[in-house]
Amino acid sequence: MLLLPVVVAAGLAVGRLGLHGHVSGMRVAADLALSWALVAAALAVGERPRWRRAGWLLATASFAVLGADLVWATSNALWTLGFLLEGLWAALLVHLALAFPGGRPWSRVAQIAISGAYVATLGGQLVGAFVDPNTHDVLGLAPQETVAHTVDRTQEITAIVVGLVVLVLVVRRFRVLGGPARRAQGPLLVAAAVTASSAVFCLGWVIATDSVSSALETIVRAVAVSMPLGIVAGIVWSRLRRPELSELVVELPTGAGGMRERLARALGDPTLEVVYRLADGRSVDATGRPVSLPDGTDRTVTAVTAGGEEIAALVHDPALLDEPALVESVRATAGLVLENERLAAEVRSQLAEVLASRGRIVTAADAERRRIERNLHDGAQQRLVTLSVALGLEAARADPAAADVLSRAQDDVEGALVELRELARGIHPALLRDEGLEAAVEALARRAPLPVTVHGTVGGRLSDPIELAAYFVVSEALTNVVKHASATEASVLLERETAALQVAVMDDGIGGAHVTPGSGLAGLRDRLEALDATLTLESEAARGTTVRASIPCGS
Amino acid sequence: MGTRVLIVDDHQSFRAVARELLERAGYVVSGEAADAAEALDAVAADAPDAVLLDVQLPDRDGFAVATELAAGDGPAVVLISSRQADDYGRRVAACGARGFISKSKLSAAAFAALLE
Repeated sequence: MLLLPVVVAAGLAVGRLGLHGHVSGMRVAADLALSWALVAAALAVGERPRWRRAGWLLATASFAVLGADLVWATSNALWTLGFLLEGLWAALLVHLALAFPGGRPWSRVAQIAISGAYVATLGGQLVGAFVDPNTHDVLGLAPQETVAHTVDRTQEITAIVVGLVVLVLVVRRFRVLGGPARRAQGPLLVAAAVTASSAVFCLGWVIATDSVSSALETIVRAVAVSMPLGIVAGIVWSRLRRPELSELVVELPTGAGGMRERLARALGDPTLEVVYRLADGRSVDATGRPVSLPDGTDRTVTAVTAGGEEIAALVHDPALLDEPALVESVRATAGLVLENERLAAEVRSQLAEVLASRGRIVTAADAERRRIERNLHDGAQQRLVTLSVALGLEAARADPAAADVLSRAQDDVEGALVELRELARGIHPALLRDEGLEAAVEALARRAPLPVTVHGTVGGRLSDPIELAAYFVVSEALTNVVKHASATEASVLLERETAALQVAVMDDGIGGAHVTPGSGLAGLRDRLEALDATLTLESEAARGTTVRASIPCGS
Repeated sequence: MGTRVLIVDDHQSFRAVARELLERAGYVVSGEAADAAEALDAVAADAPDAVLLDVQLPDRDGFAVATELAAGDGPAVVLISSRQADDYGRRVAACGARGFISKSKLSAAAFAALLE
């Protein structure tokens, strides 16, 4: 806190020098305004640990402004010191603009621009001091006006290039920043862009007219005051967000994720994510989907606790760390409401688990069906087939009475085989497994006791659960047509859309069908829901029946 | 000399009744095989005139064996299965076999009809 009185006192002393040395009042006022604004900003950023380097830059620049004004002194030594420090404040502001708020340059280009600014000012002034013809210059060992002029031009051209680079970089930075970072840093970036523009314009004017203008120097300093003011404005703007926190408590959440929107708005960070910690240790989003917390440096995680237990984590822009009081108040206020959302997320997560579990059960049941079908084929069917052929052979060489008995036995065995084949097909159709959905549905159509036409195509193989579900829809629907519809014909439509397989079975029968609990269609609906698919039935009396299924199958 | 037939089926009991059925009808059973590898070896060794070939074999399916034999200008192939032709869709017609007989309907007459 000593900084403020020291800079104020130094400013008053330098101002007195200027006025005593017949420097314009406007120029003295501009320098004092810039110096004092810089030190005020340095004090303002002091509360933010991550901005400490920026604070040092601001304080140094504040002294540098006054240091350059030592050229107003009558002492040759002070004049020379002022000459050496001329422009240093500008280099420090370039450094500040391109390394704000952390104090480290944003990029390689920013690093080069900052280095260029220091070399052009400190280096340029040191070289200039040796050749400057001014009689106050105690370092002027080889005064040469032409060389001194060339040094000035080189400095000015370098400064124009640096100014243009600053302009481009801060504009780009402003465009990529979002939420809290733009709120806190935006005003400085705008001020830096304006200051760089004015500096480029004034330096261009100096080169074009080949004359140094005290008025232009005053204008640039006056415009540069906007930079420390921008920093203070950013801090104030960030703080102005806090009253909106009351909305968190007053408003009730509206469905999954409603709280995230509200918190994002309160914190001014649209990228905010809320991750809920479930009792079993898993992390999920508001819809109950498992998520993992980021481990990089581009996102920051803030834990939210209730009753001593961590119930959620806020994943947000690291810039919010510069507003610890804001984050803390959000954390404290949101705890209770987030606890409600966490419970909702837990229920959704459990529902998702149940759905996934149902899918696994269907898959396991299908695998078991396949195994049973295979066992029937390899076991009972083979034995009955062999028995049937053997009975035929024996009947051929037996006496007529025995042959009659053997033939009837063979017919019975054949009947059992037919039933067994139908049973095996119903359990898990081999043709579906080997040849796919279209071939299996065409076989169903051929075997049906009424004309059935098949339209459409599915464009290749689909996953086993999808093919099985679609097959069973057609199989069950055709079975119902034969048993109940009194139809004269039926048709099947298979259509592969971008994200779903559409299946429809239509007949021209009596209609009036409905899904009853425990029926084949009700069982099918359960199977389809495990795939997130839907089954609908259109069956007005006397207008036929249409069974439709829409089965998601990805793209 | 009668037509020489190789019987290919992984069930020994079925091979036995098939052998009796064919021999009773005057065919000469040149050999028996229980899987695709044995079948191809037997065809190479004995050069039968026809093969009674089960679709479901432990190592490869009968369609693949029939396709391979057809490509090599081999013996006439008649496919058999405890399932029906309908259960195999277009594969029966596409594999180069002379035809398909459901095992329970196997008879010398049906076999002879496909070999003609």
